[in-house]
Amino acid sequence: MPKTETYTLSMGPQHPSTHGVLQVRLDLDGENILKATPYMGYLHRGIEKLLESRTYIQGVPYTDRLDYVSSMNNNLGYCRAVEELAQIEVPERAEYIRVIVAELNRIASHLVFIGSLANDLGAVTGMIYAFRDREKILDLFDLVCGARMTFHYIRVGGVSADLPPEFAAKCDEFLKIVPEFMQEYEDILTGNEILQHRLHGTSPMTKEQALSHNMTGPNIRAVGIPFDIRKVDGYGLYPKFEFDVPVGENGDNWDRYRVRYQEIYESAKIIRQALDGLPEGDIMAKFPKVLRPPKGEVFSRTEGTRGELGFYIVSDGSTKPYRVHIRRPSFINLQGLDDMCRGMLIGDSVAAFSAIDPLMGEVDC
Amino acid sequence: MDILNMMMGQGVVSTLADQLHNLFMLLFDNAVVAGFLMKCVGIGAILGIISVAAIVFTYGERKVCAFMQVRIGPNRVGGRFGLLQPIADMLKLMSKEDIIPQGCDRVVWALGPMLLFVPTALIYAFFPFDNGVALADVNVGIFLMLAISSQAVLPFLISGYASNSKYAFIGGMRTVAQMLSYEAPMVFSLLGVVMLSGSMRMSDIVNAQSEQLWFILMQPIAFVVFVISATAETNRVPFDLVEGEAEIVAGPFAEYSGMRWALFFLAEYANLLSVSILTTVFFLGGWNGPFLPGVVWFGLKVLAMVFVFMWFRWTFPRTRIDQMLAFSWKILLPLALVNVLFTGVGIYARQWM
Amino acid sequence: MFGEGLLTGMGVTWKHFWGKKETFCYPEEKLPMTERFRGGHLVLDHKKCIACSLCSLACPNQAIKLKIVPDAKKKRHMQSYVHLVGRCLYCNLCVEACNMHALSWDKNYAISSWHKEEMEDELVTAEGLAYFHEVMEKAKAEAEAEAKVAAEKAEAEKTGGDA
Repeated sequence: MPKTETYTLSMGPQHPSTHGVLQVRLDLDGENILKATPYMGYLHRGIEKLLESRTYIQGVPYTDRLDYVSSMNNNLGYCRAVEELAQIEVPERAEYIRVIVAELNRIASHLVFIGSLANDLGAVTGMIYAFRDREKILDLFDLVCGARMTFHYIRVGGVSADLPPEFAAKCDEFLKIVPEFMQEYEDILTGNEILQHRLHGTSPMTKEQALSHNMTGPNIRAVGIPFDIRKVDGYGLYPKFEFDVPVGENGDNWDRYRVRYQEIYESAKIIRQALDGLPEGDIMAKFPKVLRPPKGEVFSRTEGTRGELGFYIVSDGSTKPYRVHIRRPSFINLQGLDDMCRGMLIGDSVAAFSAIDPLMGEVDC
Repeated sequence: MDILNMMMGQGVVSTLADQLHNLFMLLFDNAVVAGFLMKCVGIGAILGIISVAAIVFTYGERKVCAFMQVRIGPNRVGGRFGLLQPIADMLKLMSKEDIIPQGCDRVVWALGPMLLFVPTALIYAFFPFDNGVALADVNVGIFLMLAISSQAVLPFLISGYASNSKYAFIGGMRTVAQMLSYEAPMVFSLLGVVMLSGSMRMSDIVNAQSEQLWFILMQPIAFVVFVISATAETNRVPFDLVEGEAEIVAGPFAEYSGMRWALFFLAEYANLLSVSILTTVFFLGGWNGPFLPGVVWFGLKVLAMVFVFMWFRWTFPRTRIDQMLAFSWKILLPLALVNVLFTGVGIYARQWM
Repeated sequence: MFGEGLLTGMGVTWKHFWGKKETFCYPEEKLPMTERFRGGHLVLDHKKCIACSLCSLACPNQAIKLKIVPDAKKKRHMQSYVHLVGRCLYCNLCVEACNMHALSWDKNYAISSWHKEEMEDELVTAEGLAYFHEVMEKAKAEAEAEAKVAAEKAEAEKTGGDA
């Protein structure tokens, strides 16, 4: 009987398929994964501490750098927390604009997910198509706020500028092509038998496992729990809009892919409703330029693109927050990696990283 | 006169070869020397074809990939179509530092890429490029070709092993599993062709297709099985698990740089060309075709097959190792065997009728 | 049937192979920047600037270093305005903080440089510096003239008092 032994394979921090600088140590028996341990912290910039040394308003651009693929949602989360703390009433038009840009950003982020999943599974062309279409959303953001990555558009009390006059037409044009390019992904990726075989039944998670890891966002919806903070908390204007929360059945990579896929359609639906109901009015609330929220603490959560994005802010009555803690969904979702990878093959581990969709800027914060 | 000659079946290449042979006979007046020189010219021509193919295919692959990905690809070096891009790539590779990883088995490690090139180039000897144009048109051509090409497994394994890197080692092990398991359906799919043509000589197979139909029409199942297993043999998407960029970085090539890496690259493109030639010879009627000289038809068919393989590569995702092996043993091999059975029955029925 | 999806996928790539391409050949074709584009260097309109330093205070990353000199009449003027490009977040807070609309972006995004030292951008141009000196001189002259007038007045008062 030949002697066999397990070995450790260090994937990352420089590896083509780990998103950013994630290091995963895989304990392997041949091609089978016995254990997967994520090691994080290569991208730590101390954003929480930075936020504590900036005024509330100056802190917003730093939240752009958390999850740099969906900056609008981070801006929104932080601004909502500060507004709750300082009791600022946001004008209705600003709320509508926030919904539009946040949902556009959700589509952009999910397109990055589809693209990087395709890339990790070897379908490079699928990735290029997804990024091509994301570019159209970035063009819209460029029009709105003058940046393509770190938007800093949603501000405390409203948004930085009104929508430009040509925005409505261009956004409409984009919404019209959404089903077109989604059909293209359907043809090249979803319908592809190889991709189906790669995703079906791999890295399954039970409801209990997902709950015990406190997963949120598309990852928990994939196991069949319709937990969407837009519905559960109904923050902002979301109760006004009609949309469904897509859920999966088996909690495997296929469901994670399909849930995000369907969410693109749902987001497009919300944007359509918000565009149609966009009222006239102010875009910025009236509040003193030097913001001094009363003493107290607040935890405000929003549905980020990757899950529950929470900001916990303690105010000591000065212009700067006393303590900021960010509940980063990517970080918490990533804890499920071990459960997802156990018993799978090396090829599946790559699909699992992609399916969790962690973003290292957010994980390491 | 020459044109008529060409039309009559004596191809343009073999006419040229005859003239060259006559020239050598005139110069040396010795049949052995002339024959030896002719072989040398043939070997040179084959090495030339491989080098040119590598250069053309790097450019072609980049352009095909870019066009499918709604990009325009190389457009800077050498005019707006970037025609000199492969030269620039080559210069870049040659000017790169030759990094030897610490703790590797240096002799074996250095041997890997060179050894890989040997079986890859050797099988070109059996390819009939035109009527009567083959370096060694042996009567067990298919058999020898398969035997030699299966030696390409070893260099992958030894370079994976000698690199002293886990990624490379996993890649090397994957190569063995993949190449060995796809050898079987490939051989059985060719068996149908051999049964129909009644010969293992490559030129006989082509001639059989000019008498009967092209074998793609008579052996569609074998064609599909062959193309799939040829993709796997050349380690291209969807079976590029050996390189598996997203999983094991570059597999056995991970620790090579500069010209050593370029040799792997050259072997990859030589393999791509050789499987395209094989598909052409076995299923697409080789040099047969109306109006144009045989070698042109041959080239066109080969290029079409190369395009198909590139098309696969830039459309499909990568399979997983267990699915890939299961696909070979559970689907392709039974299909190939069923094909052999039906071919046998068909041949028997035709004789009986 | 197995393989149908594969063929559909190949159809998509086939269509794109012959279809329109999305590439822009960058240095030859440049996309126009949007009106609100934030990027490139800051531009300071030295005639509008009142040296209130609100921009510097608004900056979350202390990327703006100012040298403000009061003139003879106690009015503040900008002698040097250094934008530390390497620290800039391009958050636009400085531009928004300016009440006089003296700051704007030049929208020239090709600002990469070889050396770290080149990432410090002086916004007060030679023209601006000349203007600064002119203003300073003028204020000095005015102040001197005023002082002279005041002194004469005082002298006159003094002599008048004597008389």
